Amino acid sequence: MAEPLLSVTGVVHAYGGVQAVNGCTFEVPEGVICGLIGPNGAGKTTLVDVVAGAIHLQQGTVRYAGTDIGGWHPDRLARAGLIRTFQLSREFRQLTVLENLLVAATGRIDESLVGALFRRRQIAVAERELVKEARGLLEIFGLDALRNDPAETLSGGQKRLLELARAVMAHPRLLLLDEPMAGINPALMGLLESHIRRLNSQGITFLMVEHNLGVVDRMCEPVVVMAEGKALAVGSMADHRSSDAVITAYLGRGTQA
Amino acid sequence: MPHDLNYYLATLAVYFLIYCVLTLGLNITFGMAGIFDFSYITFMAIGAYFAGVAVLPPSNVPGLQWILGLNLGFPVDLLIGALAAGVFGLLIGLVAIRRIRSDYLAMVLVAVWTITWSVTSTTIGLFNGQQGLIGVPQPFEAQLGVNPNDYVFVFIPIAAAALAILFAVAYCIERSPFGRALRATREDQDVAAAFGKRTVRLRLTAMVVGSVYAGVAGALTIEFLSAMSPNAWAIIETVIIFSALIVGGRGNVFGAVLGALLVRILIIEGTGLLPTLPDHPELIGATRNILIGLLVIVVLYFRPQGVIPERRRRYFESRKPAGDASAEVPKRG
Repeated sequence: MAEPLLSVTGVVHAYGGVQAVNGCTFEVPEGVICGLIGPNGAGKTTLVDVVAGAIHLQQGTVRYAGTDIGGWHPDRLARAGLIRTFQLSREFRQLTVLENLLVAATGRIDESLVGALFRRRQIAVAERELVKEARGLLEIFGLDALRNDPAETLSGGQKRLLELARAVMAHPRLLLLDEPMAGINPALMGLLESHIRRLNSQGITFLMVEHNLGVVDRMCEPVVVMAEGKALAVGSMADHRSSDAVITAYLGRGTQA
Repeated sequence: MPHDLNYYLATLAVYFLIYCVLTLGLNITFGMAGIFDFSYITFMAIGAYFAGVAVLPPSNVPGLQWILGLNLGFPVDLLIGALAAGVFGLLIGLVAIRRIRSDYLAMVLVAVWTITWSVTSTTIGLFNGQQGLIGVPQPFEAQLGVNPNDYVFVFIPIAAAALAILFAVAYCIERSPFGRALRATREDQDVAAAFGKRTVRLRLTAMVVGSVYAGVAGALTIEFLSAMSPNAWAIIETVIIFSALIVGGRGNVFGAVLGALLVRILIIEGTGLLPTLPDHPELIGATRNILIGLLVIVVLYFRPQGVIPERRRRYFESRKPAGDASAEVPKRG
């Protein structure tokens, strides 16, 4: 069997004395939308940060696309196709919506100082292509009319869409979404859902932290349940609903003793 | 026009041209890359001193001492000054930018100024201490043999040529993917890194380029005035350049030029025309600083992005179906 796109083995991360992630192990096969659920404080965001290189891997192994990526910095991971979004939208506030997307296309245009001065024609050609691609994406995400506006002027929901569009512009192979549905209305949720499904069908693998179990139920397979820094169970939501351990740790019962 | 007025206006023009170089450089480090480079004037001084000791002969008079003394001419001295400032900027950046971010970085850079200024003004053997370098020969002074009162007209084209080149470079940077990447790191370094940007390298490059600009401005200053001493680069000078850029519009090359005009010429020269009160010799300097402060406050209140804000490239026309040749006409805003 082919190696999974992402495998996390025995990862440990402690903030001071607090073990946020404590021996977490699971795998994400290529092509899936993998859910990552668990109670608050289970270590989900810390794990995403470790995988994305935002915080240092203290112990354990993270393998991505057949390579041990322990100790890689976020920029190197990003250039290797591992892109993440943030729990709170973090757009480049004073850049326009379109510029936010163009910035994401690292490696597809010359961003050097020398290029800025001496390769302006090649850059103009590459730029035209990128603008075309970016506007295509903005149109799909319903943001093209706002392309010239500073990103800080967008509404919360529009920022969510921009976040996803910008991530897609980076041509990810694995996209880590940290609570993409947090604080958005049901209609937009449906829209984001369909976008994620469409992108998945185009070949992007997702690892998605999400608290909305309805969304996870509809979209994610497999689903990793984290509790107290460990992957408690991996399987479909149907499996988890009948698992005593998962129910106790996260899902809860109607009446608890 | 009487010669005195011509001379005065020409001198003003030179000051303005040099100040544009300063604001354009800070526009790259601070305006685009968002680095609070409070040591900025230090790089001007480094450029001036190194250009000075490149032109001066080796020091042999007791009490007047400096390093090097290379006896070189223009424009090699200017390049040496620019190079020295760039190298110094790189060294400071390697230590500071790699390790520290935003607010603490600003404090470290203030310390860089403090240390450099103290060492320079107390070490006679470096750049002649508190007295500074004096009697630095001016470019083409010997060859042309012009009257000292007319020399300013020789220097205007020199300063203008330097500014033209540096303005063009800044203009290209502002409109390039490099400039866009700088602005992205300014907005959020973590997110820029999460999209593959080598943020430290980008910020270091901005720091070095800005320092080179300051170094050129310093070299032009010592070439024009024939002198440079620690009095000329007090920390307030950095604050004034920041003020000029904030007023004119950070992130915009035209804003940088406008800031130089408003602050360096209108306020600094304007207050110089005030009558001096015999008992209050410090009045002009105080008025100048108060006016600069007021101008910054007024601009930040009414127009926080500066008089000429950062340019946002706009794209008009909706996307047409494939095959439409008229799509994608970027308009420069």
